[in-house]
Amino acid sequence: MTEHEPVNIIMIEDDEGHARLIEKNIRRAGISNDIRHFTDGTSALHYLYHDEQGPALNGPALVLLDLNLPDMSGIDILAKIKGEGPLKRTPVVVLTTTDDKVEIQRCYDLGCNVYITKPVNYENFAQAIRQLGLFLAVIQVPDVSGEEE
Amino acid sequence: MILLVALGFGAVVFAGCVAAWTISQGETYSEQVDHTHDVEAQLSEFRLLVERAETARRGYILTGDGRYATIIDDALTRIAPVLGAIGRLTADNPRQVARVAQLRDLTLNQKLFLETTRDMVAAGRNAQALRVFRTDTSGQTVALIRAVSLDMAEEEQRLLAHRSDQQRDAVERFYFILALAGFLVILVGAASLWLILRYTKALSESERALRSLNDNLEGAVRERTRDLQRANEEIQRFAYIVSHDLRSPLVNIMGFTAELEAATGAIRELIERADATAPEIATPEARAAAVDDLPEAISFIRTSTQKMDRLINAILKLSRQGRRVLAPEALDMTRLISGIEDSLRHRIDSAGATFVIEKRLPQIVSDRTAIEQIFSNLIENALKYLSPNRPGRIVVRGRTEDGRAIFEVEDNGRGIDPRDHDRVFDLFRRSGTQDQPGEGIGLAHVRALAYRLGGVVDCRSELDRGAIFRLSLPIRYSAEQGALS
Repeated sequence: MTEHEPVNIIMIEDDEGHARLIEKNIRRAGISNDIRHFTDGTSALHYLYHDEQGPALNGPALVLLDLNLPDMSGIDILAKIKGEGPLKRTPVVVLTTTDDKVEIQRCYDLGCNVYITKPVNYENFAQAIRQLGLFLAVIQVPDVSGEEE
Repeated sequence: MILLVALGFGAVVFAGCVAAWTISQGETYSEQVDHTHDVEAQLSEFRLLVERAETARRGYILTGDGRYATIIDDALTRIAPVLGAIGRLTADNPRQVARVAQLRDLTLNQKLFLETTRDMVAAGRNAQALRVFRTDTSGQTVALIRAVSLDMAEEEQRLLAHRSDQQRDAVERFYFILALAGFLVILVGAASLWLILRYTKALSESERALRSLNDNLEGAVRERTRDLQRANEEIQRFAYIVSHDLRSPLVNIMGFTAELEAATGAIRELIERADATAPEIATPEARAAAVDDLPEAISFIRTSTQKMDRLINAILKLSRQGRRVLAPEALDMTRLISGIEDSLRHRIDSAGATFVIEKRLPQIVSDRTAIEQIFSNLIENALKYLSPNRPGRIVVRGRTEDGRAIFEVEDNGRGIDPRDHDRVFDLFRRSGTQDQPGEGIGLAHVRALAYRLGGVVDCRSELDRGAIFRLSLPIRYSAEQGALS
C-alpha cells in the first residue's frame, strides 16, 4: 500500500463476531490501515458509492466481502463493484464460509480477486487472516481517480 | 344377448329341418303320384283287356274267325299278371284289396264265359255258343268289372287328391315356418346389430374415458413428481442452508474459545508470576480457575465444537451429493469392485482378511462415482467391523433378477443386532460397541445414493454372525426413475 495515500479496508460482514475476529487477526499481522465495518449490503453500497469518505469519491480501497448478508447476497455487491463504474478495479477479497465449487467459480467469473473460505478451525482461520494481512501489506491498489481514463 | 343369438340360430336350424322334412315329404308325394298313375295305368290296361276279350268273344261267335280266338287267349294270359300287379300296388289299402278280390272273382267268371264260348266256337257249335251268350251274365260281369275298376281308379284319384291337399298344407306350413324363421333371423340380426353397435359405442366411450383417465394419471404423476422434486430440492436446499448457516456461529464459538484460551494463558502466567513473587495475592479460587477450570471448560467446548463441525460437514457433504448431477455410463462392475479392492488392499492385508468377488458381476448403467462410493462404504464397513474371533472374509456377489441388478456384500464379522437394522441407515446413528472411529454417516450416505440411483439397500444380519448388505439397482439408470429419490 502506498505511503502517501492510505488504503481503506472496507469489511462487509454481517456477523459481528466474525468481523471482530477478522479485525483482530489483521491487526496481529501488523496492518494498521483504517477498517470500516458494515453489517448489511445497503449501507455498505451507500458508503462505497456515495459517502464523502467512501472510495468512489475519496481514495483507494480494498473490499473484504462476506457472501451471506441479511439484506442482499454478497454476489450482487460483487457484481455491482466489478461491473461498470468507478470501483471496477477495486480489489475484492471474498471471505465467506461457503466452499461450494459453483459459488467459487461464480465469484471469480464476476471478477473477484481472491476467494477465501473461512476455516472453521480457529487456528487455521487466524492463520489465514494473518496471511491475508501480510498479503494486504504488499498489494498494490489502483487509484480510483485514474479509473475514468 | 347370447340367448337371443342362440334363439336366432335355433330358428335357422329349425327352418332347415323343416325344409329338409318338407323336401322328403315332396319326394314321398311324387312317389305316391307315380303310384297312383301306375295303378290307373294297370287298371285301364285291365279294363282294356277285359273289354277286348269280350269284344273278341262276340266277334268270334259272329264270324268264327280264328284270329278272335287268338285275341281271347292273348287277353286271358295277360289279364292275370295285370290283376296281380294291381293287387300288389294296392295291397296297403284294405278297401282296394276287397275290390281287387271282387275283380279277381269277376274275372274268373268272365274267364269261364270266355273259355266256354271259345271252346264251343272252336268245336263248331256256334249256335250253342250264341245261345249261351244270350243267356249268360257276361254283360253284367263286364259292366261290374268296369264299375269296380273305375271305382278303384276313383278311389286312387281321391287318395291322390287327399294327399295333394296334405302336401299343399305341408308346403303352406313350410312357407309359414320359413317366413317365421326368416322373420326371426332378421329380428336376431337386427338385435345383434343393435347390440354390437351399442357395445362398440360403449367400448369406444370407455376407451375414451380410459385414455382421458390415463392422460389425467400421467398429468397427476407428472404433477406429483414435480411436487416431490420441488420438496426434494427444498429439503436439500434446507440441509445446505442449515449446515452452512450453522457454520457461521461455530466459527465464532471456536474463534472466541481460542481467544479465551489465549487469554487464559496470560492469566495463568500472571498467577504463576504472582506465586513466584507475592503468593498472598493469588487466591486459591483464582488459581483453580486459571489452572484447572478454564482449561477444562475450554477443552470441552472445543471437543464439542469439533464434533459439531464434523456433523455439519457430513450434512453438507450429503446435501452436496444430492445436488450433484448424475452421469450414467456402462459400468463393468467386476472391474469396478476390483478397483475398490486394490485401493483397500493395504487395509485388507493388515486385517488379515480375504476378499472374494464371486463369478462375474452383472453389468449396469449407472453413475460411476455414486456406485463407487456405495461399494467403498459397504466394503470399508465390512472391514471395519470384522470379528476378532475369526479370520475375516468379505464376499461380493451379484445377479440380475426381474430387470434389476442385485448385489450383495457379505462379511463374517461381528454382525448387527436385528433391532438396529433400520437404524444403521439413519444419519449419525451407529450400532454395537463404539470402538471404531466414525460419525454414523457411511450407511446413511449409501442409502441416500441408492435411492438417488433408483435402488434400495437393506441389511440381513445377526449378532456375531456376519452381515449381508443387499443392494438392488435398476440395470439401466434413467433420470425419471431416480427423480423421486
